Amino acid sequence: MADTVFKKAHYSPPWQDVCIIGIAGSSGSGKSTLSHAIVSQLALPWVVILSMDSFYKPLNAEASAKAFRNEYDFDSPSAVDFDVLVDRLRDLKAGKRAEIPIYSFAKHAREEATTSIYSPHVLILEGIFALYDPRVLELLDMKIFCEADADTCLSRRILRDIAERGRDIEGCIKQWFDYVKPNFETYVEPQKKVTDIIVPRGVENRVAITMVIQYIESKLKAKSASHRAELKKLGQSSEANALSDKVVILEETSQLKGMNTIIQDVDTDTEDFIFYFDRLATLLVEHAMNNALFKAKTVETSAGNQYNGLVSTGAVSAVVILRAGSAMENGLRRVIPDCRTGRLLIQSNVRNGEPELHYLKLPEDIESHQSVLLLDPQMSSGGAALMAVQVLVDHGVAEKKIVFVTYLAGRMGLNRLTSVFPEVKVVVCKVVPDYEERWIEKRYFGC
Amino acid sequence: MAAITKNPLSPTQCVGPDYRPESKKPIATVSTEVPFENVHTLPQTPQLIALLTMIRDKNTHRADFIFYSNRIIRLLVEEGLNHLPVVEHAITTPVGRSYAGVQFQGKICGVSIMRAGEAMEQGLRDCCRSVRIGKILIQRDEETSKPKLFYDKLPEDIADRWVLLLDPMFATGGSATMAVEVLMSRGVPEGRILFLNLIASPEGIEPFVKRFPKLRVVTAFIDQGLDEKNYIVPGLGDFGDRFYTM
Repeated sequence: MADTVFKKAHYSPPWQDVCIIGIAGSSGSGKSTLSHAIVSQLALPWVVILSMDSFYKPLNAEASAKAFRNEYDFDSPSAVDFDVLVDRLRDLKAGKRAEIPIYSFAKHAREEATTSIYSPHVLILEGIFALYDPRVLELLDMKIFCEADADTCLSRRILRDIAERGRDIEGCIKQWFDYVKPNFETYVEPQKKVTDIIVPRGVENRVAITMVIQYIESKLKAKSASHRAELKKLGQSSEANALSDKVVILEETSQLKGMNTIIQDVDTDTEDFIFYFDRLATLLVEHAMNNALFKAKTVETSAGNQYNGLVSTGAVSAVVILRAGSAMENGLRRVIPDCRTGRLLIQSNVRNGEPELHYLKLPEDIESHQSVLLLDPQMSSGGAALMAVQVLVDHGVAEKKIVFVTYLAGRMGLNRLTSVFPEVKVVVCKVVPDYEERWIEKRYFGC
Repeated sequence: MAAITKNPLSPTQCVGPDYRPESKKPIATVSTEVPFENVHTLPQTPQLIALLTMIRDKNTHRADFIFYSNRIIRLLVEEGLNHLPVVEHAITTPVGRSYAGVQFQGKICGVSIMRAGEAMEQGLRDCCRSVRIGKILIQRDEETSKPKLFYDKLPEDIADRWVLLLDPMFATGGSATMAVEVLMSRGVPEGRILFLNLIASPEGIEPFVKRFPKLRVVTAFIDQGLDEKNYIVPGLGDFGDRFYTM
């Protein structure tokens, strides 16, 4: 066999190299309104706004007391934890999950909890110092500076701070003249020099918003095209190869063949289809359970005899690729009734066929589980499978712990998956021609 | 308590999937090999061994015992059904692909040897929805200490059916032999009987399969042997008690 068979192929998911837009401007200049306008005009489900307010440094006792007396300077770059910001932005750019701190203005401290951001296609970073740190600038795809009259800024700021941040009017005005205004002149305004586009009048400026949207859309289009091209390339290199030894195909016994006949027959009624598919899914999950790690254990029977058996060394959990994967949950529950189950929704874009991640909910400690079964009854080109495995890997699940469990799979899809992730195990019932339309979920759910 | 074993050479081996190196596979006692073509043992996967470990362990609670034994029974039934005849049957899939499949041929029924065999009925129904199930009650006659038929209720057309005979523990095979004789007396050909059990003993299997060479035995595990009271060693205690009352 040629060496290339063993060479690990590379796959970069579409959320890698996320498009990051930085929006800076004076306090009250309409940065967040502009961000929301961009999000609503983009009309995509995976655009995230990241406010720099989340990255205020946690205050020590002295600074905190000052903050409560409105004497702490929040409008200076020194109040911002740029190191953490840069770190999180780099993670997101690399396609990883990032934990974003939550800053409480009422307590002037970071909350214990964090917010997870994962896999956005577009990230909007907004804050007065969004364009301040050169390390941040390096990561930005587009730099915007929001401009507004100083009196507009002040009135907006007073309204917001009283309504949302629990401050009084005197404190607001004191802050403005002691810190905000001088800081604007010293630190905020100079950011204009590195800006790509200066937007006066904020959301009213339709022309500017349209320009921004068009620019982002062209970036996304290019990225989606390169993702699809990469998927295609992966297919060409792996079509001819033999299947990896990590791919376990169920032995086609006469009973299994009989079940396959009923399941695949277009004339089978729904009741029979569901019954036989559940039975088959149970067998698939039983097979997948063999990837778990076991250790020797000697037990005593009620008659007092010893038996040298095995015991599983940890929890097995599952992740269902929606919608089709949920057709395998009955089978899963027959084997592990209380199996912890994550879910993710991957849909192929109707226009260009690119798989897209729409929804993700995983068990919190999934990386500590002994084995993770990824359920999807059909795999043709393997795009959704690659994406789902990448999601698990990004969440810290070791590749070798992942078992992709599927009913029908194309040879090309199998080879793509195992060449990108050579440690992933696959349990499959039947290998079928590449590119088969998804039909199992339609039969199972009746629509 | 030390068990008295007639066959102390129970095989031990590394258990795990083929893609894993031997050094990474744990060692466990696996099913004893027997040289009979009509005895079919389930593949000794780590999962099966772990399930058997659960149900053998005296510390396993009844709910778990029932759940894990059901999982093994389902695998047994799936294996047993493989021995039923099929005929070629070509079909078209919902996406228009043609598939040279097969169709199940012949009617089946289950027959459980009471009471422990009845514990296997759920697993059978999980795989065959509306299967008919007959029952046979065989008890040891206290005077002769030989098995005696107390009761049977079987489908009327049993002679036309394939029979899955259910009894989880195959020790001496006394009850099973009697049950097979009952079935044959109702006209069921020997070759259409499949005897499904979880744990068997080599001493029970040998005379049984020699006496009924056309019958097929499907078992999850063949243990090392019988003790002086004819209990399977190591076995799992009394299956009926553990499933129904303990």
